[in-house]
Amino acid sequence: MSNHALRQTTASDDDSSTDDVESPTAVRLESVTHEYGANGGRGRSGDDRTVTALRNVSFDVRAGDIVGLEGPSGSGKSTILHAVSGLLVPSDGAVELLDTDLTACSNRERTRLRRRHVGIVFQRFHLLPSLSARANVALPLVQAGIPRAKRRERAETLLEKVGLGDRIHHLPGELSGGERQRVAIARALVTDPDVIVADEPTGELDTATGEDVLDLLMDIGRDRALLVASHDESTLAVADRVVTLRDGRVVSDGG
Amino acid sequence: MEADDEFDAARDGSRRTRWRGLVGISVVRLWKRTVRTRSSRVVATVGAVALTIALLVVVTGVALGLAGGGAVDDTDADVQIVPEESGALSAVDGVEGPRLGDANERAESIRSSDDVDHASPVLVEPVKLESAGDDEPKTVLLVGVVPDDEPRTVGGLPTDALEPGDPHYANGSYDGPREGELVLSEAAAERLEAETDDELTVGGSQVPENASAPTVTATAVEEAGDGDDETPVALVHLSELQTLSGADNDQLADQVLIWGDTDAAESAAADEYPDAAIESHDGTDPSALFGDGLAFATSLLAFVVGIAICASFVATTAGMTVTEDRRTLAVLEAVGYPARSRLSIVAVSTLLTTLAGALVGIVLGVGGIYAVNALASATVAPGAVAVVHPILVPYALAVALVSGLVAIPYPLAVAARTSVLEEVGR
Repeated sequence: MSNHALRQTTASDDDSSTDDVESPTAVRLESVTHEYGANGGRGRSGDDRTVTALRNVSFDVRAGDIVGLEGPSGSGKSTILHAVSGLLVPSDGAVELLDTDLTACSNRERTRLRRRHVGIVFQRFHLLPSLSARANVALPLVQAGIPRAKRRERAETLLEKVGLGDRIHHLPGELSGGERQRVAIARALVTDPDVIVADEPTGELDTATGEDVLDLLMDIGRDRALLVASHDESTLAVADRVVTLRDGRVVSDGG
Repeated sequence: MEADDEFDAARDGSRRTRWRGLVGISVVRLWKRTVRTRSSRVVATVGAVALTIALLVVVTGVALGLAGGGAVDDTDADVQIVPEESGALSAVDGVEGPRLGDANERAESIRSSDDVDHASPVLVEPVKLESAGDDEPKTVLLVGVVPDDEPRTVGGLPTDALEPGDPHYANGSYDGPREGELVLSEAAAERLEAETDDELTVGGSQVPENASAPTVTATAVEEAGDGDDETPVALVHLSELQTLSGADNDQLADQVLIWGDTDAAESAAADEYPDAAIESHDGTDPSALFGDGLAFATSLLAFVVGIAICASFVATTAGMTVTEDRRTLAVLEAVGYPARSRLSIVAVSTLLTTLAGALVGIVLGVGGIYAVNALASATVAPGAVAVVHPILVPYALAVALVSGLVAIPYPLAVAARTSVLEEVGR
């Protein structure tokens, strides 16, 4: 089965019909509450020093949707992205990824689901400094057990698509900020995921480079569920819908 | 992005491919960090392990030297043939034991074998010598040998001060010209009050009544290589001693020494002397360590200290490396590497760094043994005190591997405590 099954089942030959047929839900958050401070996760007793990052957050993202998350620092944008990608298990509520409740999965299962279905783009790129651009892009495929020749071919194809065909052997330290973020986008895309989460993807870039990266993200986000957290108006402007957060609550879901 | 549809990463590949990939990542990361980003941490780990292993190799080499005798033995021959039931030289005043017959001919035959460099019968006889101006003949242990043009050690003395060959033997007729040369040990020179180029006369009962006493010239006075500074020993040409002692009739010798490839020498010795005892005189037999208390204690101490220091270095530096690497581990988790894979990368990286250090350490250690020998030769010891043996290589690698395994839990614990949200959220 392709990872990108949802897109394949919903995208028909006739583009206009996709507007009429409702896409299935790729991500659903239902009454999600999360508190930082103690051990994290469920089943712990209350603690005065805990910080509530999310309060009863519910919304969903359909395949092909570009959803922006806006709100001031500390409003819970990143926490939502971490919960959707399975890096964090919320204290309460359910996070469904392709109809699988991540909160009911083991660590190992969440890791596998993340590898297969979620691509993450970080604000600070987070490339491995001692690996080449190609090796960084191919990184998720190593764990997937893909043979080296196929990994390289796949990584080179994606690097060419993001305009870095001539930079495949460069280390991250030899690339500009915009180029590094393009490598990070190629890495997020390498397993052909159904959902892409991007946390301030243009936050470290100048305006022109940020626009280029955003265009690229919109291009690859087409037909996938894309969640973008940002403070930046121009970044949020490309979203189909913007969910606004304040103090961990959804104050507007853009609907 | 049409090509994306053709790619299916959900169908996980083989476990073997994954493991090869994980090891590959570990190797490439280490290599790039060393060569391109010049990580001082990797260099520090490799250097610390290398120094520890080098020290271990040197100390174990010294222990092997102590145990096996090595170059501080009374001969540097590889194989020794002695009569059965007699494994040692007879003492100065000891009762004469059984001897080997036809020694000259058979040694000649052994010498012509492949991979045998040289073979010489050795005859040991106490002989009275007197120097000019000294009326009292003194007994010296003469060691008869057939020297060749290579520097060799017999009876603790170097043979290269004697003319190569044994002309007096003359194919068994014992009527060739006498060389009349003598290499004295310092103890013998002291007893005879002789110096280099002094003439000495054979006295006592060895000289036939109707013959004039033969004279010999001291060509050199040497320090005994076996550290024995009390026994007066002197080297002479074999046939001249055989003639003097009456051993020429049956070409008698106490032993035959063979230099060259040990297996070839043993084979040739067995062909010529099927009933004699053939002893490999390889001074670097590692099993000898267990028979020598001091050497065993030294090597055991080196082993324990080596593992302890090496493991401490590896644990500390690898732990610090992992602390530096927490963001990398967090990224690996974010892109879908489960804990087992992440910890495997840490473990493989730690072991690879340790083994790289061990390889450098072996090279340094072997160099160190040569340096120790050079230093010892120049100062206190008559020859090499430490030996290089091939077993030092797997031994050092095994010690490094054990050290790495002992050290691994610490970096793994540091890695396991890494919080992905703390790292990628920064």
